[in-house]
This record gives sequence, C-alpha cells and structure tokens, in this order.
Amino acid sequence: MPSVEPVSADSEPLLSLRNITKAYPSVVANDSINLDVHAGSIHAILGENGAGKSTLMKLAYGVVEPDSGEILWRNKPVDLRSTAAARKLGIGMVFQHFSLFETLSVVENISLTMPGSRKKLARRIAQVGADYDLHVDPAASVHSLSVGERQRVEIIRCLMQDLKLLILDEPTSVLPPQHVSSLFAALRKLRDNGVAILFISHKLEEIRALCDSATILRGGKVAATVNPNEKTAHELATLMIGHDIPQVEARANQVDLNKPLLELSAVSVKSSDPFGTDLKNINLSVHAGEIVGVAGVSGNGQQELSRLISGEHVETSAAFDCIRMMDKPVTYLGAVDRRQLGFAFVPEERLGRGAVPPMSLSKNSLLTASDKGMHRKGFLNKPRMDEFTQHCIKEFDVRCGGVEAEATSLSGGNLQKFIVGRELSLQPKLLFLSQPTWGVDIGAATAIRQRLLDLRDAGVAILVISEELEELFEITDRVYVIRSGTLSPSLVTSDVTPNDIGKYMIGEQQQASVTGGSHAT
Amino acid sequence: MIKKIAKRLATVAVAAVMVQNVASAETLEVGILLPSPIADVGWSHALVAGMDAVKAKHGDKVNFNVVENIQEGPDADRIMNKMVGDGAEFLLLGSFGYMNGGLKLAKRNPERSFVHASGYKVADNFSPFTAKYYEGAYLMGMAAADLTKTKKLGVVSAFAIPELISTINGFTLGARSVDPEITVDVIWINSWFDPAKAQDSAKALLANGADILFSNAQDTPSVVSVGEENGAYVFNLNSSMKEYAPTKYLGVVKTDWAPFFVASVDAHLAGNFEGANQWLGMQDDVVVVEDWSDDISAEMKDKIKAKQDEIASGAVHVYDGPLTNQAGEEVVAAGSRLEDGAILGIDWHVEGINSPLPK
Amino acid sequence: MQLRFEKRLHQSKIMLLAAPFIAIALSVVLSCILLVVLKKPILLTFHSFFIAPFENFYSITEIFLKFGPLLLIAQALAVGFRAKIWNIGAEGQMVIGAIAASAVPVYFVDSTSGWLLPAMIVLGALGGMAWAAIAAFLRTQFNANEILVTLMLTSIALQLLYFLLLGPWKDPMGFNFPQTVMFQDEALFPALFSGVRLNVSIIFPILFTIAVWLFMEKHYGGYKLVVGGLAPSAAGYAGFSSKKAVWGSLLLAGFAAGIAGMSEVAGPIGQLQRSMTSGYGYSAIIVAYLGALNPIGIVFAAFFLAVLHIGGDVALVSAGLPISAVHIFQGMILIFYLSAYAFVNYRLRVVQPVTQPDSAVSS
Repeated sequence: MPSVEPVSADSEPLLSLRNITKAYPSVVANDSINLDVHAGSIHAILGENGAGKSTLMKLAYGVVEPDSGEILWRNKPVDLRSTAAARKLGIGMVFQHFSLFETLSVVENISLTMPGSRKKLARRIAQVGADYDLHVDPAASVHSLSVGERQRVEIIRCLMQDLKLLILDEPTSVLPPQHVSSLFAALRKLRDNGVAILFISHKLEEIRALCDSATILRGGKVAATVNPNEKTAHELATLMIGHDIPQVEARANQVDLNKPLLELSAVSVKSSDPFGTDLKNINLSVHAGEIVGVAGVSGNGQQELSRLISGEHVETSAAFDCIRMMDKPVTYLGAVDRRQLGFAFVPEERLGRGAVPPMSLSKNSLLTASDKGMHRKGFLNKPRMDEFTQHCIKEFDVRCGGVEAEATSLSGGNLQKFIVGRELSLQPKLLFLSQPTWGVDIGAATAIRQRLLDLRDAGVAILVISEELEELFEITDRVYVIRSGTLSPSLVTSDVTPNDIGKYMIGEQQQASVTGGSHAT
Repeated sequence: MIKKIAKRLATVAVAAVMVQNVASAETLEVGILLPSPIADVGWSHALVAGMDAVKAKHGDKVNFNVVENIQEGPDADRIMNKMVGDGAEFLLLGSFGYMNGGLKLAKRNPERSFVHASGYKVADNFSPFTAKYYEGAYLMGMAAADLTKTKKLGVVSAFAIPELISTINGFTLGARSVDPEITVDVIWINSWFDPAKAQDSAKALLANGADILFSNAQDTPSVVSVGEENGAYVFNLNSSMKEYAPTKYLGVVKTDWAPFFVASVDAHLAGNFEGANQWLGMQDDVVVVEDWSDDISAEMKDKIKAKQDEIASGAVHVYDGPLTNQAGEEVVAAGSRLEDGAILGIDWHVEGINSPLPK
Repeated sequence: MQLRFEKRLHQSKIMLLAAPFIAIALSVVLSCILLVVLKKPILLTFHSFFIAPFENFYSITEIFLKFGPLLLIAQALAVGFRAKIWNIGAEGQMVIGAIAASAVPVYFVDSTSGWLLPAMIVLGALGGMAWAAIAAFLRTQFNANEILVTLMLTSIALQLLYFLLLGPWKDPMGFNFPQTVMFQDEALFPALFSGVRLNVSIIFPILFTIAVWLFMEKHYGGYKLVVGGLAPSAAGYAGFSSKKAVWGSLLLAGFAAGIAGMSEVAGPIGQLQRSMTSGYGYSAIIVAYLGALNPIGIVFAAFFLAVLHIGGDVALVSAGLPISAVHIFQGMILIFYLSAYAFVNYRLRVVQPVTQPDSAVSS
C-alpha cells in the first residue's frame, strides 16, 4: 500500500526538472525542459512520436542521465543514476513493453523484485488489487493473462513499494476501449491517495478526460503547459504539431465485388513461436476498390497473419488454394512470386524489415523493386536504381540527404514515407500495410491515408492492419477484428461504433448477436 | 646442465647472427633445423648435444644457427632455403620429413654439405644418418626379460618406419632370447611429440597386462612418467630420462652423435665430404647403453655385458638367423644373417609381437 | 569527468581505414616490450619481419607463394561472413580438396597425360565443395550450427588424411612414412620463374578476387547475401532465400579452399603429406577480418599477412626468435584490429556529470 500523505495541488512539487537537456548523436531529444509534478495530481506529457516524451520519462526513472540540467525531488537535487535510485525514492514505472516473464506466474514475477515469501506476496497482491479494482489472480501464469491484466500486474508491482510517483508510458495504446475506463478509475483512486502520476500519451481525448495538467512537447522543447480540461482536442492537437491539423478527404467508394484480389478461406496456422498466436480458421477477402481493416489488440495474431499474407511464412500444410491473390492460388508461393502477381506489402517494422538500416535508399529500392529494370542478368543498373529512388523521394516528400542517404539516417516518418512510396511505385493491384502510420507524425500520416484513399478509388485492393481505431474508422470500408487468432465476421465500418469493435476485441461479442454490421463475403 | 647447453647454444646462435656480416671466411656457418622443441631430453636435444662436440672442437670457427619446433612441410623448406641464403655451409636436418626439400636444396647447392636424420635418399653432398637402435634395444630386451612378471612388454611408438620397426624387433629378440614365452604389444601413435596421446597409449598397454614399457622415439617423457607412477619398468631412446622415473628406470639407449658430427664437419672443412648412407651403431660409439637399473640381477647384468661386447666387436649380430616372422614363417635360416639393406627397409615384425604392423 | 562509449550515427570511414594501421602499430609496440623481455635484438627482428622479405627476388616470390592461398580462401570466407554464415572450417575443406586432387597422381603414378593437372583442379574444387556441402545441408535441413559443424568436419578431414597416408595411399617406397609418392612433373604446376617455388596457380586467387569483387559490388546476388547478413528480416520480407545464401556461401568457400589445397599439393609440396595446409584455413579468417571483409581490403591484408609470415620465418633464422613469438605477433594484430574496429561504429566521449557527487541521494 502506498503511504497516504495529506496533499494539496499547490504544495511544493514532488519532482521537478530544471533546464534538462539530453542529446543523442543524431538529435537533441530534450532541450532545456522544465517540468513540475505535484503529489496528488495526474500530469500528462503530450507530444507526437519523436517529440521527446520517451526520453523525458527515462530521465525521470533513471534509465538515462541528462547531459545538463538538474533533477529535484522535493526541491532538493538528486542524482538519478539508476532505476534502483529512482525506485528508492518511490518512483515506479510501467513501460509500453512489459517486463514480465511469460513462463512464470504473477507472484513469481513479483517476487523477483520484492522481498518476502510468495505466500505473503500473494496476499498483498490480492489486497492491492482489491483496493484499486485491479483484480488479478496471483497464481495465474503470465502467458495466460490478457494484455490488460498484464498491465495491472505491472501497476500492482509499482504499488507494492512505497509509491510516490507512477510513470505510465502510453498505457492505453495496448488496451481495448472497454478496459481503458477501469484503468482510469484505478488511476484516479491512486491520485486521490496522494500519488503523483506522469501520464504519457498522444491521445488527446484521454488526456482531457483524465489529467489535471499537461506539458506539451514539440521537437524536444516544451511547447506549452496547460490545463487540458480547458482546451479542446483541436487546440491541444494544434499545440502538439505546431500548426493546424490536415484533414483526410473522404469519398464514397466503388467496390467491385466481382473482383476479389485477396481471399483467405479457412486458413489455420500453428505458430512456430511457443508464445505466438495460432491462426484459426481465417476467412478474409479484399476486393478491388476497397480498403479493409483488421483491428485488434496487439499480440492477437496480427504478426502471424501479416507474415502469412506477405509470403514470409509459407504454410506448407495448408490446402493448395486456401490463399488466393489476383484469382490465383498462392498458398505455396514465396514473397517474390506474390510480388510478381501485383502484390505489395508495407511491414510494421521499418528498420531491419522494410529497409536495411545501413544501406542507402538507392540500395533499399532494390529490396523489392528489383524487377523495375534494376539489373541486367544480375548485374546492377545503378542509374535505374537512383532514378527510381529519386522518384520515390520526390513523389512522397521524403526528407533525406538524397538517394545515397542511409536508411538509418531518416526519421521514422520519412522512412515510412519512403517505404510506402517504394511499394506504391510497384503499381500493385493488391496493397497490404501493417501499422502504416505507427510513429509517423500527423502530417505524414494524413498524407499516407490520403494516398490510400486515392489508390482505392483507382481500383486497388487495400488491406490495413492497425491498432489505431481512429485510423481504421477514417479510411476503411470494412473491418475485421482479430482476437486470439480468430477473425470476427466482416463489419461495415460506417455501421459500427468503436464500442462495437471493442466488444469483439475483448471477446464479449457473440457472432450471433451482430446486428446489421455483417457483410457477406 | 643440459638446459645450460641449450641456452648456450641459443646465445651462440644469436651471436652468430649478430656477427654474421663481419664473420671471416674461415668461420663455418652451420644451420640446424629441428622438428621438436630442444627441451631437456629427447631427439632434438640429443642432436644439439652432438653438435656441441663440434663447437667444443672448433670453438669460434663454427657458428650455429638453430631453429627448433618446425613442422615438416613447405615452411620447413623455406627455412632451410633461408639458412643457405644466410650463408650456412653445413646443414643438419633433424627429421625424416625434411628429406625431399633438403635433397632439392642440396642438389642446387653442391658445394654445401647436408646431414639428414633417418632418411634413405643419398646425394653427393647429402648423407642420411641413422642409429642402429636395435643393438641397444636387444640388450634392453634382455633386461626386461629379467624383470617382467607378466611376460608382457609394451611399446609406445611413433611411425611405422623401418628404423623403429627394427628397434622393436631387436627389443623382442633380446627379451625372447632369455624367455621365449614373452610377448610384445605395440601402439603406433604417429607422432614424434604428442604427450597426451603417448600417455594414454602407455596406460592402455599397462591395462592390457604389460609391466615393462618402451618409449620408442618419443620426444616427451610422458611414457616414462607413466611407468614410474604405475610401478612398471621403462626405458627410452636418445637421452636419459631417469629423472622422470627415478625408481623404475630400466636404462637408456642413448645416441651420441658427437663422433659422427665431428667427423662430418671435419670432412666438410677438409673438402672431402661425401654423401653416403651413415648407419651407425655400437661399433661407431654412436649407440650407447647406460643408466642401468639396479634391480636387474647381477647374473643378467653379466650376460648383458657379454652380449654387448660381442655386438660391439661384430662377432654377433642382432639379426642372426634363425628369424621367424609374426606369421611363424622362417625368414632367415639358422647360420645366415639378414642383410643391411633388408634391415634398412624392414617391413615385418618378428615372432612374439602381438600387434599387427600397420600396412 | 567521465568517459562514455557510445554508438556513432554513421560508420567512421577514417577509422575503417585507420584500424589496421592502429592494430599494426600497437602490435609493434607490444612486441618491442616482449623482445626486450626475451632479450632479443629489436631492430634485427623488425628488419627480419618487414624489410628482409623484400631483400631478394626469391624471398619476394615466396611472399606471393604464401599470399595466393590466403587470398583465395579469405575472399570466399568474407562473402560468407558478410552474409553472417560462419564457416570456420576452410582448413578441412582445403584438406579434402587436396586429398581429392591427389587421388589422380596417386592412382595414375606413371601417367604423363596433359589432363592430369586439369583433372586435379576439378577434383580439388569438387572435394572442397562436397565437404562444405555437408555443413550447408545440416544447417538448412536441421538448423545445425555451421560453426560447430565446419570445425568438427575439419577434425574429420584431418583424420581422413592421416588414414589415407598411413594406409592405402602410403608411398610404397617410402619406408612406411605417412606420405604419398612424389607427384610426377605433369601433376605439378609449372614454376613461374626457374629456381623459385612460385607457380602459375597464383592466377586462381587473382581471378577469384576479381570475380568476388564484381559479385559483391555489382551483382544482385551479392546484394542479396549482404542483405541477409545485415538484416535477416528484411531479406525474408524481400523474399531472398536464406537457404540459398547458406548453400551459396559455403559452396563458394569449399570451392576456394579446395583449389587452395590442390594448389599446395600440386605446387610447393609436390605430394600429399600430413602438414599440408600450413594453417591457411585458419589464417584466412584473420585475413578476411583484417581486410574488413572487403574484396580490395583483403588483397592488402593477405599480402600483409604473407609478409608477416615470411618475415616470421626470417626472424626464426636470423633473429633467433622462437616460433611461438611469431604466432603471438600475428595473434596480437588480430586482437588489436578487432578492438580498433569497434571504434568504426562506436566512439568515446567525455561527459561532465550533471550534479555534484555529494548531492547524490543513493549510490
């Protein structure tokens, strides 16, 4: 149990950052940051990817040390050299990627960092869970827990020490909408007990609903410190990106239901990873002229599904024609053969999968576009590679040092624009994107979404896997929801609400009770 | 003391290089190439000890350049070439495997003289030299017969070349001359210097019932140590290893190359070096048997002494008939003697050796 | 003040070029200390290592004799290393290449046919490739680690060599010593000049280097291998077959090592014998890394190591250095190079601590 101290919001700040600067070789991540966090309040750190949020919280948790500036704890300077030092002060943190051992039980995981017998710890876990409505079975194995439950374990682990400050990194990005509200309830209860909470997010509505104050970061600097309740989402967004948000221009689509360009019929795949997800009886179709989305909480089979469709995983035990592209069976074809049929794929990892980090953009064009006249009898045609690359750079507004720039030297958003550009330049009939705007700034994300709509109107079939529900609602015509390796029935996007999709995400929705949203495929 | 010689030789070698450019024409440059580390005992050590006599005789008039531990192969060829290039006039090539490279070098340099250990090819300026180890081994066989209880003797041996085969035969003939029930087991380890393998093989022989060990052409005292540790009498060739088996040392068949090396260097200096197959034994004072164990009975010691005198005088030869091979066939009839050529190329074992000869 | 070791944003081109020289310089300095301790003449030693090898024509040809097999094997290994396929068994592939090639003169002792040598070249290449193919097969079928497999196969190759030399292939006139007959002149490469051991087989490494350079720098196939090494997921995404990369790079190494082994027995040795490899299979790994896995860098590295080796032999004879000292010197160069190479991707930076040490709350 955290010790409860009488607090008021205007007392001395618990944690203060004074002129903190932290530079990495490529970028100044934090530039003269000033920040005060008070006990008994929820403080949001708001910003786009790359604005410096992650660095800031790592500084506060002792993971990295600042280059200059001062960190104060109750107005006294402290040297946060390690996470151990931070924990000693009463700082706890829940990372976006949990640090739990899947093979161990909840209590075993917690006993790795907490003294005391397992029996006593299990009792305390149950007690803390009851106090904050964070119920979790101490004896359960972590791999059997849902993402939301794992997050609870992480929070409980923080609460079991003498917690003064809790840092949460994008806690809602992994949760279905239904679980967000129960998390918020627990956080409010913590605040009322005097704990300070640093809440990192880029979701504006959440921040407005939950937080007492917000520091908005832009380009490593503090753009503003505001009370989010007094601002509209639009105002916050404008502060976050520095200018007005561009809008995607949506139009009605023209689906050609006679032209299914991707069909999966009753495909089942056993995952080779012991903690992966098996795909069960997947039925999915994408037609020319439509954008189809796959929603779901990460780790529910998206990885396996994308590798199955891209041809990176060839399921030799599946039936000969259970996967069809452009009306041809492709089950046993690899990535190269599928690409030759007019398929293109943008994977979710850019560096290391979509692009080779230390290679030039020109050489990265060769990765998938080699058939565009880039070699003659195997010997490379450098002028043609450069020409193609230059075209991608220009056409998709890729900010870089030219065709010889290394892929690593590009920011995430620019690299994604390059990869999307490269795949679109293949002039695919069927385009598949996984998390197309993950970590991409709003401007670039809008541009990519606009391109996808234009392509759809030109008759391309597009499949998008995304964890961002807003994105799927913005561009898709139909959605499927993936949960535990099974796909929901096809839902017409305009007929459903985020809440409906959320029900499929957590498995509350029974197939029979779908009303009106189903769409025969 | 032995170590001192080696060290002195090494310093001499360095000094030789330092003064190389100012060395007068009368100084004889000698190149010595050795297959194993000189160490304190063993083959390379015996060769160096022999050359020490040359040094003792000629003093500053000879300079030694010693390179040790060189594997047979293209690198060895390059090193002898380099020695000749550096002005070596007389070369001692210390291993069988240096033969082909050394011979080529000798043919290109007819004015220089080469002595080559254990080989069989001869040129005008290229003399292979070999010791008649079998003479000493015969006497060791007699001593072993006196001490064995199990009537089983074990040999750890390097390569199945005639030199070593004839030595094992001599050992067996000597032992069976005392007690015809004695048998001999041989393990070939195909290496001059492999302490671990030698040790394992010696233990295997003991486990098989042998109570006397013969370390045949091993440049490591491994076998000798195993004998001491397990209470089995043991002997070896080339130089004494008594310090490794103070209580169980049977003796040593020593090679004293000094007389031969001194003679060869003298011949070279006199300009009358002639390549010939040098096969040297007790008569030549090259093969010497010493460090006898005190456990050998006085009676047997007398017998050994008598035999030694007979061999040294040439009255008796180890390979006098009748000789029977492993298959039980008579190879040499009673009253005749195996020719030298046949011994130099011997490829059969005498009766009493259990292990087949590798073919 | 604090020192911090941090990753560079870009590879340092200057360090890439400087690393081998730093390694050599540090090795020289440390060797000097070693020589002083050993009481060996320093100047004479370095003269032996770096100047004496160039002092006469014969010695220069000997450098190239050593350079050939090192270059040949290192080029092939570097291709595999760039694809992150760790074939460290070139030594064994070389032995099998030599054995396969030697079968011709061993079984056709009296032949004087002009086909002897070409047949030996082909068999040598096939032998090395067959040996490497075992590792490729085990890796692609059973995911067996190629480091272990190729290393173990080297032991097996050596035992096979010993078996043949002690048994069926032993020179019948060789008094049981483990070596084959001396090959007839028709089974040997002709010398380039009279009186030297350098022979026409030096053409193989030179042609092979050009081919590897073209393949790695200008060819789609080389590009695929490099992608597989740098980013396996990207290779999977692009659809480049990792099995082909394993097979391709192992067979290439087997080919090169086989030819190298063949060139040794049909060159300076002139027969098959126990110590026929001179350790080229292992030294080539050093060469490949010293050359930064770059085809042109490897040419210089192979030449440098050849000089070092010839110089080492000179030092044995002229400066009275023990052979282990030569090995130590070679080992030092590799270790210092690998250490210096870390600075290609990393740098040391001096940083000032943010707060005074006395204000630390916890230690």
